Amino acid sequence: MISYIIRRLFQLVLVLFGVTLITFSMLKLVPGDPAVALAGKGATPSRVAFVRHEYGLDRPFYVQYYRYVERLFHGDLGTSMYTGRPVSQMIVQAAPVTIQLAIAAVLIELLGIPLGVYSALRQYTVWDTTLTTLALLIWGIPVFVLGYFALYVFGLKLNLLPIGGVGPMILGVVPDGWQSFKTLILPAFTLGIIEVAYISYMQRASMLEVSRSDFIRTARAKGLSERRVIWGHGFKNAVIPVMTVAGIDLGALIGGAIITETVFNRPGIGLMIYEAINQRDIAVIAGGVLFATFFFVFANLLVDLGYAWVDPRVRLED
Amino acid sequence: MPDWDEEKQAERDVYGTEVTQVETVDARRGGEFVDEEIETSAKPLGLWADTWRRLRRNKLALVGLGIIIAFMIVGSVETVFYQAHWHVRVSASTRPEDPGYLAPYDPNQVDYGLTPQGIGSPPSWKHPFGTDFLGRDVLSRTLIATRIAMLVGIIAVAIALTMGLLLGPISGYYGGAIDSVIMRIADIFFAFPYILFVLLIMSVLGQGFQNVFIAIGVLGWATFARIVRGQILSVKTMEYVEAARAQGASDLRIIFRHVLPNSMAPVYVAVAMAIGGAIATEAALSYLGIGVQPPNSSWGLMISDSVQYLAAGNWWWLLFPSLALIATVFGFISFGNGLRDATDPKLKE
Amino acid sequence: MAERLLDVKDLSTQFFTHAGIVKAVNGVSFTLDRNETIGIVGESGSGKTVAALSLMRLIPDPPGKVVEGSLMLGERNLRTISDDEMRAVRGNDIAMIFQDPMTSLNPVMKIGKQIAEAITLHQDKSKREAWKMAIDLLARVGIPDAPKRVDQYPFEFSGGMRQRAMIAMAISCNPDILIADEPTTALDVTIQAQIIDVVREMQAQFSSGVILITHDLGVIAEIADKVMVMYGGRTVEYGPVDEIFYNAHHPYTWGLLASLPRLDASEKERLTPIKGQPPNLITLPDGCPFTVRCPYRRPECRDDWPELEIVGAAHGVHCWVPVEERQGLRVQLPHFKESVI
Repeated sequence: MISYIIRRLFQLVLVLFGVTLITFSMLKLVPGDPAVALAGKGATPSRVAFVRHEYGLDRPFYVQYYRYVERLFHGDLGTSMYTGRPVSQMIVQAAPVTIQLAIAAVLIELLGIPLGVYSALRQYTVWDTTLTTLALLIWGIPVFVLGYFALYVFGLKLNLLPIGGVGPMILGVVPDGWQSFKTLILPAFTLGIIEVAYISYMQRASMLEVSRSDFIRTARAKGLSERRVIWGHGFKNAVIPVMTVAGIDLGALIGGAIITETVFNRPGIGLMIYEAINQRDIAVIAGGVLFATFFFVFANLLVDLGYAWVDPRVRLED
Repeated sequence: MPDWDEEKQAERDVYGTEVTQVETVDARRGGEFVDEEIETSAKPLGLWADTWRRLRRNKLALVGLGIIIAFMIVGSVETVFYQAHWHVRVSASTRPEDPGYLAPYDPNQVDYGLTPQGIGSPPSWKHPFGTDFLGRDVLSRTLIATRIAMLVGIIAVAIALTMGLLLGPISGYYGGAIDSVIMRIADIFFAFPYILFVLLIMSVLGQGFQNVFIAIGVLGWATFARIVRGQILSVKTMEYVEAARAQGASDLRIIFRHVLPNSMAPVYVAVAMAIGGAIATEAALSYLGIGVQPPNSSWGLMISDSVQYLAAGNWWWLLFPSLALIATVFGFISFGNGLRDATDPKLKE
Repeated sequence: MAERLLDVKDLSTQFFTHAGIVKAVNGVSFTLDRNETIGIVGESGSGKTVAALSLMRLIPDPPGKVVEGSLMLGERNLRTISDDEMRAVRGNDIAMIFQDPMTSLNPVMKIGKQIAEAITLHQDKSKREAWKMAIDLLARVGIPDAPKRVDQYPFEFSGGMRQRAMIAMAISCNPDILIADEPTTALDVTIQAQIIDVVREMQAQFSSGVILITHDLGVIAEIADKVMVMYGGRTVEYGPVDEIFYNAHHPYTWGLLASLPRLDASEKERLTPIKGQPPNLITLPDGCPFTVRCPYRRPECRDDWPELEIVGAAHGVHCWVPVEERQGLRVQLPHFKESVI
């Protein structure tokens, strides 16, 4: 187990460096001379050259990259060209909103596991066919489409739930009070239901595959009850691949959360990036992407560790 | 109980009325052993016939296939008719002498008469999908947007596939340092949440649908590379590779002539899913405003335009492009899943 | 007088698939006494595994179904007893070990737990006692360092050890009958002999009857008392092991015996396989399934299934070739000599 953790950590560090390298390269590739932008309007060429030197923009690529990473270590993600605020500050303010939505969506998504098992156990029945068809249909719906539909039906027409914004929070993440919670319902379910569809489909497939395994036949041959065979032997094996899938899917979930915020006007990372796109505020975009990516990478590490804990083959094999 | 055919059973029961093959077996004739040809039981079907047979039973997948075909037809027709499709239109002015398209009306024909109160008119006999805030026919715009979706799907995935089919086999076949490096880079690509990565690239490249092709395409290679590499790894140890090498075939030839063609099944599945994903991603990008630009029409763009008028009761402008988008993505996903089930050797019937 | 454990009559099992009805087992009958070993021999697709699974009522339904037959375990008919009763039989009265121990064991459950499971289920033992018994069982089947091994997972065992663990699991509740489905096929040749020894020892210890399913005549020669030769879902020949090897009456059996490589054959001699392909179980003829590949086929073979013909002590065969001709034919087969083994 230890060697597995060490290997994963090593890989994680490599990946994070790669991510920062790519992000930094993107920043460098943006058309236009940042020195000119920084120097301000009507600056003379010598002024521009001075600014360029001052900010180290005339140094070779790897030096600039090194300094970029150095700044990252200090939590400096640059400054927003539009708002003038440090990007890290914007992120700190926006992140809890996004995290709240992500957590809520994950909690809802977990419902997909029992749904998938239920569906698999009733293969060939009406329930299974209906659920599987629904799952496939919903899985393909882009989150902003479902979001607007939900918003239109529940928010505008039926006037049941608020159509945007967030309420007061405890610790920035937990909604404080019913009003605040109401703002979370629509976005969380919109995002969550798409994830549930996906997870339940995967869980069903995994469960079906496991149920055809030889060791299930052996378990039955021992005279174990069906319940014991399914849950004691089948389920544990079936849920393991779904964990991996869910971990990878977190990336899509984060992306979905970002888009959902634009639909429901929640002031999270998504909305921050969206506004930055309109303003061509590349520092904010890069900062937001970098933050979300780091978050995803660490979340994946946790999933991998959980996976190793559950599957002894990963833990002990070397 | 899966359905089986009573009538067909009677036919099959009679020995040898199914597909038969001729075989040489021993026979004792006149005290000696001779070879005799005789009809034996059914030949195993080829891989594709077998896949198709299994696919046929999956109704959802067939529906998906039907949607895909309809989508491709509409998209191709639109593309063929719509000239000057490579240039992003700079001016928003419409050109009455524009060439034809398969749509009831000119999608860019503005008609203020059809938009009282500035929110367009609801579905009617003349305009089955209604009109938008500029009086443009929603049905026509929806159809025209199919073209963009299809182009994105095909071109972006083609780019990703080409890159993946090059790097994957090299990585899998040669192994060692090359494999490590390529896979590490793939890991880095996988580390980004997909939409965000695309957003980042688009911010750098700028908006417009050509850049959408590039962004989606370049980011997609890792998935294909990984799949192909996995296949190569499992096939690499098989005997026919040894045999080919023993016959003196060069490495490249082995990879591309022998190993790759046998590894393609999961790739086709991935292609189907990827096209669906690409279409959804393009829609999201256009919705966010950095994809397709007006006056080109994309479903995502239509949806984002319609949002402002939602409170005023304009639902048709949101509904129809959404349905088209959902249906198309569903078609690819459903077919992809069906294909995966049909090519899974472990899936007993 | 040996105690009769099992009496199977006219067992027929079919699978209803999209391609048609697969007649996997067609009118198979055999008996098993205490301390007796019956070897069921045949190629892949002959129906031997399906027959065994039918006995255990482990045929997945859909698409399979035991359509006919009486499976008497003592006084009870395994086909008609309730599900609960059947579960009490499985692992307890009849135990089964499978071909591939890697896939037949739960990869994420400790070996000890997999063995103890059956014990706590069928016998009134606490978990702790069951665990101790599991360690003891592992030692008995020849696994060294059992107390440590019992805490391990299947992937930590070698192939031979896994199969031993499966055997331990099977005998944990002292079953009267042990069904071994190709227990050695997935293993190295050197391990095969060891596993057969373990089976033999366990049989002796528990006085159980053993149903050994295999395509390997060598294994049959080692431990079987009587042999049932199956082809295309039917029994073609049935008798004591010596009779089958030295006095076989069915052309398929001849083919099997003739295809064995011989130690005393010269290097230049080629092996003699049975020409042709295994039958399609959906399009089986009404008569003998071996007709197509049989060098001695006659017009009646295809459409009429020959009745049981007794040709020796407890030795029966289903064949249209007249008994007088068979002796002569047998010795004329290329490479077939009087003493086969």
